[in-house]
Amino acid sequence: MKKFLSVLALLLLVCFALTALVACKTEQKDSLVIYNWADYIFDEDLNEFKQYYKDVTGKNIDITYVTFDTNETMLTRLTKGDSNVDVVCPSEYAIQKLIELDMVEPLYYFDEQAYTDSFVSVNKDKYVHNSENVEPGIIEKVSASDTFGEIEITAEGANKGKKVSMTDYFVPYMYGTLGILYNKYAFERAGIYDEETLNKANWGILFNDDGEGNLLSDKLTGNILMKDSIRDSYAATVFYLYERGKLDGLTDDNGVPYADMSAGELINAVDDNLLEAVKDALTEQKQQLFGYEVDFGKDDLLMGNAIVDLAWSGDALYAVEESWNDELNDGEGDYELAYYVPHTTGNIWFDGWVVPKTHDPDHLDAIKLFINYLNTATSAAENSLAIGYSPAVKASVMLADEDAKATLAEGYAVYAPELWDVVDESGAPLAQEDCDFASWEEFELYFFNNSYFDEEGNEVCYDEISHSNWRYPFAGAEQNADNYRNIDSLGVMRDFGTQNKAVVTAWNYSRSAGVNALPMLGWTALAVAVAVGALFLAIWFKYLKNSRVRK
Amino acid sequence: MKKFKFRFSRRAFAYPYMIFLLVFVVVPLVIILINAFLDDNGKLTFANFAEFFTDAGGGLTVLGNSLIIGLVTTVICLAIGYPCAYLLAKYHASSRVLVLLFILPMWVNFLIRTLSTKAIFMALDVKLGMGTVLFGMVYNYLPYMILPLHTTLVSIDHSYIEASEDLGADKISVFLKTVLPLSLSGILSGVTMTFIPAISTFAISEILSSSKIFLFGDAINMHFSKTTNSFGVGSVMSLVMLVLVVVSNVIVNLTSKDEEVKSAL
Repeated sequence: MKKFLSVLALLLLVCFALTALVACKTEQKDSLVIYNWADYIFDEDLNEFKQYYKDVTGKNIDITYVTFDTNETMLTRLTKGDSNVDVVCPSEYAIQKLIELDMVEPLYYFDEQAYTDSFVSVNKDKYVHNSENVEPGIIEKVSASDTFGEIEITAEGANKGKKVSMTDYFVPYMYGTLGILYNKYAFERAGIYDEETLNKANWGILFNDDGEGNLLSDKLTGNILMKDSIRDSYAATVFYLYERGKLDGLTDDNGVPYADMSAGELINAVDDNLLEAVKDALTEQKQQLFGYEVDFGKDDLLMGNAIVDLAWSGDALYAVEESWNDELNDGEGDYELAYYVPHTTGNIWFDGWVVPKTHDPDHLDAIKLFINYLNTATSAAENSLAIGYSPAVKASVMLADEDAKATLAEGYAVYAPELWDVVDESGAPLAQEDCDFASWEEFELYFFNNSYFDEEGNEVCYDEISHSNWRYPFAGAEQNADNYRNIDSLGVMRDFGTQNKAVVTAWNYSRSAGVNALPMLGWTALAVAVAVGALFLAIWFKYLKNSRVRK
Repeated sequence: MKKFKFRFSRRAFAYPYMIFLLVFVVVPLVIILINAFLDDNGKLTFANFAEFFTDAGGGLTVLGNSLIIGLVTTVICLAIGYPCAYLLAKYHASSRVLVLLFILPMWVNFLIRTLSTKAIFMALDVKLGMGTVLFGMVYNYLPYMILPLHTTLVSIDHSYIEASEDLGADKISVFLKTVLPLSLSGILSGVTMTFIPAISTFAISEILSSSKIFLFGDAINMHFSKTTNSFGVGSVMSLVMLVLVVVSNVIVNLTSKDEEVKSAL
């Protein structure tokens, strides 16, 4: 009987397993492998995308989400070919490298016909192509001749020597600027918190140079942080040298004077003359530094260990928002930190989605829908809220979308009952004065224009010093044109290419310079000599004493 | 055809470890060796060696600084550690708690300890630099000096000391002619256990000087992990490091003929 029961149980189990298997097979699931930066999306489960996918195709989708922490890690994994991912989000220079290696598939996202026609099983009635939502400034910037222009494929194969445009291959996701994060109250105490002084110093703030060859302030000495990243430190240093006229009279390998170059040409002219100058400047800068940071820069600034840091706009905005202190500004409260994008020259960067050639061909629809989904207004609002960087979707698109506005209003605790139910976590209604922003208008000014209305009703820029919009550096919004940077003064940095090794060597050189342990060796030798001498002296005295007794 | 016979003897228990060693120690070393001779495109080159030994990237300077800092750390550790170990060994009966006190800091992860050291320095308004790095090194490596010294000193047969005292030696002579020579092996292993990690550390200098003091460990770390991807020069530096380790071990093993205590590394 017992045996019979166990056989029955086994049979039942097999039946269950079989039905489960069959059920799985009938419910056909598409899948997609996403390879993105860590902490670089609103929801790594992508539930809303799954819904979007179901709406457009009628099918469910299975998503594998993998992350990386540097472009180099990602490039190594892709080039070694040990990861089969469908869609990746590298930075601009890594995309350039992938295109040169002929490793990515052309997407033609900005050619609506070509992009939509290639769908196999998508219900085109329910599909909206979102390429119009993307900030055209980015596309222009990428295609500009001093940026990427035409990229030549260098890898062996059928496409070798072919010249292509980057815009055919990628879809921008997030972008931002490189600038200076600083403690404005410490600057005030040092007496350098005014527009004229800082605009004269510009990138020199990082080098404690006031623009006339003097120290900007001795209070900055030993309180400046530099980024422990070659590319960013290199860019900042080149701009500084250019601004100070230290490159005047020098020419690149083709005989073009550096002084005549645009910001974009300048940071991409990585030749030996320039490298030598950068190396010297970085070595000299060391005396002014608190140190180099990777992860602790924000903490060091918030805790008052350092005053100035080289930072990316997203990180900087996050730090600024964290630095709200109720006691500042005579008890009215203020942000202790501020972000400054120097006026003359600057660096703008962006990350975008590309599709490696090794992707699963069956996943093509999912890949394309995913990329398109990221360019919806709601998705852009959610991601911008979660990450802090500026999404490539135009501000005007988000402002026209009620859902996107509601997302932002809720995320920033804006008192806007017309957009969302203004309640706290427990569901209790929030009073207007308990919200961080009293109205949507106030928030809109802060978020999109980086400004606020003062008591007389004038629009004032949050960043009184550099008058630049931290979040949206592109000109194009109608109001307050003063707040927008001239996009031509921002350069995009290409891959160092064959000069990579030379740059690494120069960077290592300046990092290792300025430390001299020899005096320490001398002091130690002296101390040891004194100690040993004292010991022998003591023994000798004892010996003398003993021998005297013997006499 | 000769048949391979697997005889199950006690030796068989060592095989898993041998395989482990082969896969995780020997193979990586070979990979480092190969990488040292390859350029970015995977072609044979001696440029990596040239770059390091001509000091183009400041590699030699960094090595020199690291050796000096390692040496100074070792000297300070010895100067503090020897009296400590001596006293601990002398008052043997009550020392179990005392020894525990010296090991206790090692129970806390050293990164956490170093980060807290930085916080303390910042709170005291101490400028981060060479001094703070040295402090962190001594603080972290002192137990590695005390422990081998303590083991050796405790194991010295007390009758030697009594004998020398019976023969009329005063306290200084007892120490200089009996205790010190007998504890030489402990000193040597303590020195190696302090010196080698001290020249290859990178976290301590990175945290306690905000990366301003750039040591050999930092340089190797930079070549491998940061956004540089220059494995070649990094491999050369790792090989140099390896040579240093081997050399110091050879020295230790040559000097301490004593079979009991050999370098723990």
